Amino acid sequence: MKPSPRWAAAAAVCAAALLAPLLLSETQLPVYIVLVLAACVVTGLSMLMGYAGQVSLGQAAFFMIGGYTAALIALEELPTWLGLAASPLVAAVLAAVIGVPLLRLRGHQLAFATLAVQLILLNLVGQQEWTGGDIGLQGVPRLAIGGYEFADDVAYAYLALAVLGLTVLITRNIVKSRPGRGLRALATSEVAAESSGVPVAGYKLAVFSLSAGFAGLAGGVYAFYFGYVAPSSFPVLLSFEYVVMVVVGGAGTIYGALVGATAVTLLLQLLNNIGTMEGMPAAAPTVLSYAVYGVLLVLVVLFMPRGLVPTAAAWWERRRSARPRGDDPASDGAERPAPAPASV
Amino acid sequence: MSGPVIEVSDLVVRYGTATALDRVDLTVGAGELVALIGPNGAGKSSLVNAVMGIVRPAGGRVRLNGRAALVPEGRQMFADLTVDDNLKLGAWRRRRVPGARDTARVYEVLPELARVRGQRAGTLSGGQQQMVAFGRALMADPDVIVVDELSLGLAPKVTAGLAEHLRDLNRERGLAVLLIEQNARLALELCGRGYVLEAGRIRAQGTAADLLASEEVAAAYLGGPAGDVAAAKEAAMETAKETAKETAKETAKETSP
Amino acid sequence: MSDFLQYLISGLAVGCGFALLASGLVTIHRVTHVVNFAQGMFAVVAGLTAGSFLSVGLPHGLAEVAAVAVAGAVGLLVGLIAIGKPGTSAQSALIATLGLGFAAYAVEIMIWGDNPRSHPGLRGTVEIAGAYVQKQSFLVIGVTAAVFAALLAFFTRTYLGKALSACAANPYAARAVGINVTRMGLVAFVLGGMLGGAAGVLLTPLMPISYNSDVLLITNGFAAAVLGALNRPGLALIGALTLGVAETMVAGYYEASYQTVVALALMLVIMIWQSSRRTALQEEAAR
Ligand SMILES: Nc1ncnc2c1ncn2[C@@H]1O[C@H](COP(=O)(O)OP(=O)(O)OP(=O)(O)O)[C@@H](O)[C@H]1O
Ligand SMILES: [Mg+2]
Repeated sequence: MKPSPRWAAAAAVCAAALLAPLLLSETQLPVYIVLVLAACVVTGLSMLMGYAGQVSLGQAAFFMIGGYTAALIALEELPTWLGLAASPLVAAVLAAVIGVPLLRLRGHQLAFATLAVQLILLNLVGQQEWTGGDIGLQGVPRLAIGGYEFADDVAYAYLALAVLGLTVLITRNIVKSRPGRGLRALATSEVAAESSGVPVAGYKLAVFSLSAGFAGLAGGVYAFYFGYVAPSSFPVLLSFEYVVMVVVGGAGTIYGALVGATAVTLLLQLLNNIGTMEGMPAAAPTVLSYAVYGVLLVLVVLFMPRGLVPTAAAWWERRRSARPRGDDPASDGAERPAPAPASV
Repeated sequence: MSGPVIEVSDLVVRYGTATALDRVDLTVGAGELVALIGPNGAGKSSLVNAVMGIVRPAGGRVRLNGRAALVPEGRQMFADLTVDDNLKLGAWRRRRVPGARDTARVYEVLPELARVRGQRAGTLSGGQQQMVAFGRALMADPDVIVVDELSLGLAPKVTAGLAEHLRDLNRERGLAVLLIEQNARLALELCGRGYVLEAGRIRAQGTAADLLASEEVAAAYLGGPAGDVAAAKEAAMETAKETAKETAKETAKETSP
Repeated sequence: MSDFLQYLISGLAVGCGFALLASGLVTIHRVTHVVNFAQGMFAVVAGLTAGSFLSVGLPHGLAEVAAVAVAGAVGLLVGLIAIGKPGTSAQSALIATLGLGFAAYAVEIMIWGDNPRSHPGLRGTVEIAGAYVQKQSFLVIGVTAAVFAALLAFFTRTYLGKALSACAANPYAARAVGINVTRMGLVAFVLGGMLGGAAGVLLTPLMPISYNSDVLLITNGFAAAVLGALNRPGLALIGALTLGVAETMVAGYYEASYQTVVALALMLVIMIWQSSRRTALQEEAAR
């Protein structure tokens, strides 16, 4: 049996991801870890945008919830693994609770509502004494699971990769399952899905809280890795950044999420290197990164509205079917782009 | 004025991959009344929209010799605006011409509208709205008026009244008319010439009298006797094509200076 | 009592700023169905530009008007990118305006740096019944009233204004009478830019503005406009004034840091309340 190109690609991506921590330099590793954590958040958000057809402009809020949960538990001298385990749960439960009223909103209303939720949470967290106010929580101990302490960057890189692997596996199984097909109907038209028996409200809430759970888990790792959390670590712009990643990669696909997170992070890093070169003004890195977000978002939305991965996949399909005989055209549809873009 | 006011040749309209019009030819001479009939989904509105420049054709040509104005399908009011404002906006294409926005001449032709001039168009009855749509088209001071579905949802009496208006305008002002109408008999009785559009193609054309006499048209659109439809279709197509050529020559003669 | 009066008037002034912003949002949304995320950016650009114009010696009045004109030009640019390409959906356009907000950050930081800036407005205070109110507050209220009156006259009395309303009411019919709906959309963006700009030049003397103030401004503008489902400028005005007063009262009597929380919570409650009276079918049909 010949391995299909899809499996070969997946294997190559995995191998590269696993080798990277060993090959990257000391300065590159933190970037890599942040990239992998962003990919976790973006995978969930991509599902929300691609399947439930809804944009969240406040996804960083759940990342923040996860981070604070882990930090608070670890600082209470409770086992640190408990903090990591609790971070996705708390985020998911919070999303489920606020999701009940919030998900009655759609499109741009939901976008603004999620943005509002994040602004409110940021504000509240910045005011409370037990969250450390504006300064946040410092001195979060290192994560230890079963006697093994995650001490250095390489260990955290593999931890982040494990979390991403879990996220991808869960997402993949959900998308391929029967409810997953119902979800896809949801993306095209809520009304049509509802009338064909899909429990729309329940599915939307499930996807919303699952995506929050992914973000929360990533936030937990973040807290242990950096050792502190503060409101300024989770700005609204971070939420926008996740949306940029989803849009660039292509909503509703796992590969899209990975490609989007990677492409945006690498591009930013490249420009950051240029911006910090000698002779550049101090503001250059910031200016360049904002310019990249802006230009990238506009270009992709206008000229590649389905995102990088689905566009490339469609191009590949066309080329293949143009050839006289294509090999196994009916591969599984799991990674296919969702039919409709998120409606705003 | 010389030559036809509307000249459509080889027109192709597509929506995505679906073809709504496939190489359609149609002309409306100056001062002529022309009917366009066909079943739902035939592409009549697509033709109209292409003529008015609302839809971009995928191929072929639309030539307008003079100003065209549209009475769109489904009335299409500016619901929040008053009747008077609806009418005024009909003159948008001539907005730089002094006096073009004067609605008095429309109230002259459609005195029924004068009473409701200050009312919001969205609150009018269907028939009143159709009259507003009519008046709005007249405000463009058109050489040809394109009516997409004159009778849709209207009482027969109202339809007859509007048809009468059309006839008068044609007679008194030499206004050409392209009339799309589900009620084929009404259309063919009003107009001198007609086209039958089916599935994006012109199936038959000719003088109204010929089309009315044609068995195929009778069977499909006039509720006439249904015979061996296929055979009748063939025969009718032949005669229709013949008459079409004839009329085309005639109109060409008539309209040349 | 004098505190109350002071909070009320300065709250109304802030609310007026939000109202101008919201009216720009509504104007653009009505005509193009695009929710313009870059609306707050217009205010930031105009506020900072006015400061620069003043600092190079332009007199008051001229500097502010010129800054509003600049915001109008920025509005045109945003409109061209957001709706200029045929076939861009309203959803894509919103994301595009989000992107343009980012791009604007880059330009703003290059020109003005990243610290909050302010410029002097009308100096001095007025004493009413024991309350000291900044003169600038009255200026904001007065100008806003004038702008709203002018806007009303524009939409109901002028031919161009009616054509804009026509595009909002029925784009197909607008095309049928020969109105270029895209061009009208651009006109709406210019207007939206100028309205946002007016908010910026009026508010900057009351509260310093930096490049990323746009998020709070757009959120407040949206919160106000959402009361009228982004389509009714009158309701947006009421929403904005309520918001402004509520925020100032919270800041004055309770705790300044909670003022945005109150506004945002109010917005959420209104939206959720509205949505409970609407079904998915209605929304998809209205799209
Ligand atoms: N905007 C559109 N997008 C996609 N398809 C369209 C669109 N408008 C029309 N069509 C399709 O083009 C075909 C012709 O439609 P059109 O409206 O021109 O028909 P019609 O003859 O006017 O029908 P009716 O008598 O019902 O008004 C139909 O199959 C219709 O589904
Ligand atoms: Mg039709």
